[in-house]
Amino acid sequence: MIRVAGLTKHYRTPKKAPGLLGSIKSLVRREYETVKAVEDVSFTIAPGERVGFLGPNGAGKTTTLKMLSGLLVPTAGEVEVLGHRPSDRLPGYLSRITLVMGQKQQLLWDLPARETFELNRALFGVARDEARRTVDELTELLELKALLDRPVRNLSLGERMKCELVAALLHRPEVLFLDEPTIGLDVRMQVVVRRFVEEWNRRTGATILLTSHYMADIAALCPRVIVISAGRLRFDGPLQDLVRRHGTDRRVVVAPVREPTPEELALADRFQRTDDGKLVATVPAADVKAAVDQALRALPIQDLAVEEPPLEDVIARLFAEQEPAA
Amino acid sequence: MSATAVLRAVVAELRVAGMLAMRYRASFLAETVMSFGWVAWTVIPLLVVYEYRADVQGWTRDQALLVVGLFITLEGLLGALVEPNLRAVVEQVRDGTFDYTLLKPIDTQLLVSIHRIQPTELPHALSGLVVVGVAASRLDPLPGLGDVAAAALLLVAGLMLLHGLWTIVVATSFWFVRVDNLSVLLRSLLDAGRWPVGYYRGIVRFVLTWIVPVGLITTFPAMALRGQLQPQLLLATCGVSLGFSLLARAVWRFALRHYTSASS
Amino acid sequence: MSAPLGTLRHAAAAFPDLLRVSWADMVAYRAEIVIWFLTGTLPIIMMLVWDRVAEAGDIGRFDQPAFAAYFTATLACRQLTGSWVVWEINQLIRTGSLSPALLKPLNPLLFLSAESLAEKPLRAAILVPLVALLFLWRPDMPLPLSPVQLSLAVVAIGLGWLLNVAIQVCFGCLAFRLEQTMGLYMVWFGLWALLSGYLFPLELMPPVARAVVQVLPFRATLGIPVEVLTGALSGWDAVGGLGLQVAWVLAVGLLARLLWRRGVRRYEAYGA
Repeated sequence: MIRVAGLTKHYRTPKKAPGLLGSIKSLVRREYETVKAVEDVSFTIAPGERVGFLGPNGAGKTTTLKMLSGLLVPTAGEVEVLGHRPSDRLPGYLSRITLVMGQKQQLLWDLPARETFELNRALFGVARDEARRTVDELTELLELKALLDRPVRNLSLGERMKCELVAALLHRPEVLFLDEPTIGLDVRMQVVVRRFVEEWNRRTGATILLTSHYMADIAALCPRVIVISAGRLRFDGPLQDLVRRHGTDRRVVVAPVREPTPEELALADRFQRTDDGKLVATVPAADVKAAVDQALRALPIQDLAVEEPPLEDVIARLFAEQEPAA
Repeated sequence: MSATAVLRAVVAELRVAGMLAMRYRASFLAETVMSFGWVAWTVIPLLVVYEYRADVQGWTRDQALLVVGLFITLEGLLGALVEPNLRAVVEQVRDGTFDYTLLKPIDTQLLVSIHRIQPTELPHALSGLVVVGVAASRLDPLPGLGDVAAAALLLVAGLMLLHGLWTIVVATSFWFVRVDNLSVLLRSLLDAGRWPVGYYRGIVRFVLTWIVPVGLITTFPAMALRGQLQPQLLLATCGVSLGFSLLARAVWRFALRHYTSASS
Repeated sequence: MSAPLGTLRHAAAAFPDLLRVSWADMVAYRAEIVIWFLTGTLPIIMMLVWDRVAEAGDIGRFDQPAFAAYFTATLACRQLTGSWVVWEINQLIRTGSLSPALLKPLNPLLFLSAESLAEKPLRAAILVPLVALLFLWRPDMPLPLSPVQLSLAVVAIGLGWLLNVAIQVCFGCLAFRLEQTMGLYMVWFGLWALLSGYLFPLELMPPVARAVVQVLPFRATLGIPVEVLTGALSGWDAVGGLGLQVAWVLAVGLLARLLWRRGVRRYEAYGA
């Protein structure tokens, strides 16, 4: 379905020295430097999979997504999606995929969203009644029936995102590239979008590739994650493996029955008090037993739990470990 | 891409353009009225010249008025079809939504050529034709049917040339992103076409005829209406405009391959 | 415009810095400046046309070299007095970026004027080879530039620029209330091109029209600097022309100030 081998993208960008002199210099001659946005990335994705792309800003996630959708021509390497080379941008390919960018909108700003749907219907050559059925299904899933006749500029950010999704899915694509689809949305709306994507994947069997800043999106949606940092592939596999492999720390959390005395606290030196009155020790997996023993010995325990660290911490750690020395 | 797909796309885009243009009723009316008013702007300098002369380089006032009328027509078509699209593409390239245009299963060059049409400029084109009509009716002898057909053919060839010119301009916007004024540049290049090319001398005339084929667009159809255009020139013009369209297409494809969408 | 003295002094102190910043900013977009420059070349076309027309004999006081001198001066004065402040103000108001601009300690109008002024050296630099080329083409172009006449011309160009900026501020302020202001400005521009001497010397108009056009602000932005530069206006006549310019700058400047203040007050009260 999606096959990527040795994918590489380099950019040339102009350099500008600071100050007046610099700008005069660049008036005469521009100097360029090469940015290696993506470097030798390979993976394959099977039909119907939901895959999350993780990585810090500028890691090359969006660049990869753009090469997969056909917007950018790779500097080297191969991409094959649905049996096509995306950068050819043949109509037969484009009508089977879609790209949603959370930061860029395709809706016609001054007209009701319905008009964008109608335009896309015509451009993608979808039959009228088929389009109507799809729009009905999507608007019901997203609960936005009442909003379709209002000019887009009068909609809230979340409502606009819902309409963007309808416009992007009208032609029932088989592959969905979602670039930060929840960016800027409030928590409730993030959940709505997340649930929708999952439901759509279940109903249509479409393959979904997603990038997001919000780990919750990835955790809820994507059984498989691909981690990219500084343009290189760092991890590819189930989310649990990522957590297991790099989240070696554990949190031992104690809820005390009463306020511990200073003596008790001195004995339980692995623990620190949190704002909500709990005592927490963050320790390597091998030291969990020692920490629990200490708690049992020293503290007035009402409840004790051993937790995996939040996904954010795991990722932050992963990137910190693999950041190139330069 | 089938003809029906193209037709469907054109109709859908026209529909949107109409709705967008009529969204503010007052300015829709004002713009429509204004587009008639600009006719005076182009005609007056010509009238001033012919206050002092009856004939300039073999062009009488009415004959030169043909050129002015054709110029106004092309200006109107430029304002209705070319400039708004140019602005729209440049805007899209700047904010990155050009990505969505690239991912539509319709030829991108076609799509950006029909994406924003400005119907309020069409009266300007129409009034240009009226000027041509009035000037032609005062010619002696009156143009024959063959002359009119040749002029129409030349007008179409001129439009193809303009479209090619404009395509190349848009293509450059992929490299110089902040170029909202490209349409202004295009206009100022065309400004020379408001006078018969015969007015200009030597190298300027050559450039305006064959390099920036502005004179060709307006002067040749006028000469056809006067019954003075040799058939070879007609053929040459059609050939040039066809060749230029193909060149523009090649430049466009080259530019698209090197388009790096605004990242983030 | 009479801002309180402290603000004015502050602004004057900031002006060189502003110029430097906008100069750097502008150099970064050099391609555009060249393009914008090319948009002001209609006088060259008119020069070629009138040169042809005058081939068969003088028109009024104009022979071929005189037309060349007139339109060379027009080209130069247009570049040096021009400004697109109206467009910038329109953008500021439309996009809502006026709010942050108002929070800066410096009046946004002053900033925009600095930008417009910062372009001038580059425009002048592009003018030099172009004017040289035109001189090569018609070496007998009469430009009677005595030191006195030249300094009068510089003042006239400066006043023309000021008047342009003031007029454009007025049109820009319409964006506080109206949707489509650039359209209105284009109407002004159309009239301006016909009545300022941009497309043909005003002397060639019928006498009645000419008498009216003579005192309108159009001529004060372009026609007067051109006439001073070509020597058509000299001595006390030239001083009178500058006087007319000053009168228009004051009148339009006061109007601009009023419109801007009202507009900003309204903007701050209701938002964009």
